[in-house]
Amino acid sequence: MLLKNNYHQYVVNVIAINVILAVGLNIVKGFAGQVTVGHIALAAIGAYTSAVVSTKLGLPFWAALPTAMLVTGLAGAIVGIPSFRLEGAYLALATLGLAESVRIVISGTESLGGAIGYENIPPPFIGSMALDAHRSYYYVVMPLALLGIYFSFSILSSDIGRAFKALREDQLAAAASGVNVRKYKIIAFVLSALYAGCAGSLKAHMAPGFLNPNDYTITEMVTLLLMVVFGGIGHIWGGVIGAVLVTIINDLTQDYYQYRMAIFGSVIVLTVMFMPRGIGGMIDHHLVRRRFKAIREAKSRAT
Amino acid sequence: MLLEVKNLTKRFGGLTAVSNIDLAVKPGAVHGIIGPNGSGKSTLFNLISGVYKPEPGASIVFDGDDITDWEPHEIARHGVARTFQLLRIFSGMSVLENLLIGHHGLIRYNTASAVIGSRNVWAEERRVREEMMELLAFIGLADYADMPAGELSGGQRRLLALGRAMAMRPKLLLLDEPAASLSPVNVEIVLDTVLALKKRFGLTLIIIEHILKVVMETCETVSVLEHGEKIAEGSPAAIKEDHRVIEAYLGKEMEDSEVRALLRSA
Repeated sequence: MLLKNNYHQYVVNVIAINVILAVGLNIVKGFAGQVTVGHIALAAIGAYTSAVVSTKLGLPFWAALPTAMLVTGLAGAIVGIPSFRLEGAYLALATLGLAESVRIVISGTESLGGAIGYENIPPPFIGSMALDAHRSYYYVVMPLALLGIYFSFSILSSDIGRAFKALREDQLAAAASGVNVRKYKIIAFVLSALYAGCAGSLKAHMAPGFLNPNDYTITEMVTLLLMVVFGGIGHIWGGVIGAVLVTIINDLTQDYYQYRMAIFGSVIVLTVMFMPRGIGGMIDHHLVRRRFKAIREAKSRAT
Repeated sequence: MLLEVKNLTKRFGGLTAVSNIDLAVKPGAVHGIIGPNGSGKSTLFNLISGVYKPEPGASIVFDGDDITDWEPHEIARHGVARTFQLLRIFSGMSVLENLLIGHHGLIRYNTASAVIGSRNVWAEERRVREEMMELLAFIGLADYADMPAGELSGGQRRLLALGRAMAMRPKLLLLDEPAASLSPVNVEIVLDTVLALKKRFGLTLIIIEHILKVVMETCETVSVLEHGEKIAEGSPAAIKEDHRVIEAYLGKEMEDSEVRALLRSA
């Protein structure tokens, strides 16, 4: 999707980045059922790692991206450790603490730009050509988003995805079925962190190459959560549907910025009340219903 | 012996839930465990399956390995499957997926190949799905393979819990009240399935059960627990006549003859 309007092109790129973030969050939260609020901090870690690696070490984007993912993956393992002992709201609180401390440390670190922000992060280069326009950056962001979606599909439709779901459903029964609960929790956290690191790095190198710690607050985390909840928590398409819709809504409601959190908050509440499995879950529900209705009817006709 | 438990004790604060229990189960046996509510039956299962850790001094040897300090998933993968009193099936997953999770330890591909979605992953998935469909057919749930497990009826859920345990290809199966709160017809169906599975896969069974009829008909040896202690052990016939067992179940006031009549009618 290439658009003439530069701003629209920017929005499309942001959608792609948010898809990566939300698909990653859906792995750990939607599938493995770990209520983490630390995802946005992982994105920050990815973004700042990528920024530092490319500016201070002078490495190109193509090296900074994997480095950022690696560092974020390690950070994800650390964020996952509290999940061994904590569940639900308690885990949310612990990860929230971790997330906020990451942001506060960044704000207070002079060499990371502090509260003012980190400037002059270089765009990716192909040879001597800088991909500094939104239109050219699209060719970096979109393939990565598609790759991310593909990987999430193969993970979640494999035995690993099933083990995640088993954790979400019932840890005791999962362990009794031979699932190594801790191992799969860490795998879920690390995989989702790799997504966050990738998205963070992409955000850092996108024009104008500027990062601000205020882009990684609890507000952004709620927006991310909304994407996953609205799109369909634990649904294989959930992160994608949610990221696309919420980013567009976010963009269209920019004039009402001050009300946004109130709107998002109520949408989360309403979704959880009336559409607990999100748009994806709702579609599935209707499909499954129709199928089993057909089977039941066939059976009753047979007897 | 397939399972040899020695000196097993578990305390919760001041309460001794299981006290100095020894248990030996031969390969191929059907061993019953009975006892009043709160006598430590389920705690015993939780100890054997690794959910709880026993007090020091205990030893649990299964198939020649000391599994006392093993994690639950390690014990499961070593061949000890169990069902739960409250079933704990994965209601949000499909019936087939429940079995596939049971088969988790036997699925052969690594995380990396699953991430990139390599061809051997698909081949292996196809293989295990076919295998689990066979097992589903065996327990009579093949028609419901894609249905969310939460939509099954009570009797079907029990069969599914049984199937999920069997999907591990265990050597020993611990059944925690397999027939509880079922209608007589469903009790028959579940029991028949258990015995058919035992025959087909050469299982060893330990069954906790409240319905005495079930225990008396299916078990070769019965252990009786009361207040965490094993008060009697023997053949069902011998247990029926045991004074301590009668007291544990029915109190002391009843005349022995009345009690015997009651137990016999069971």
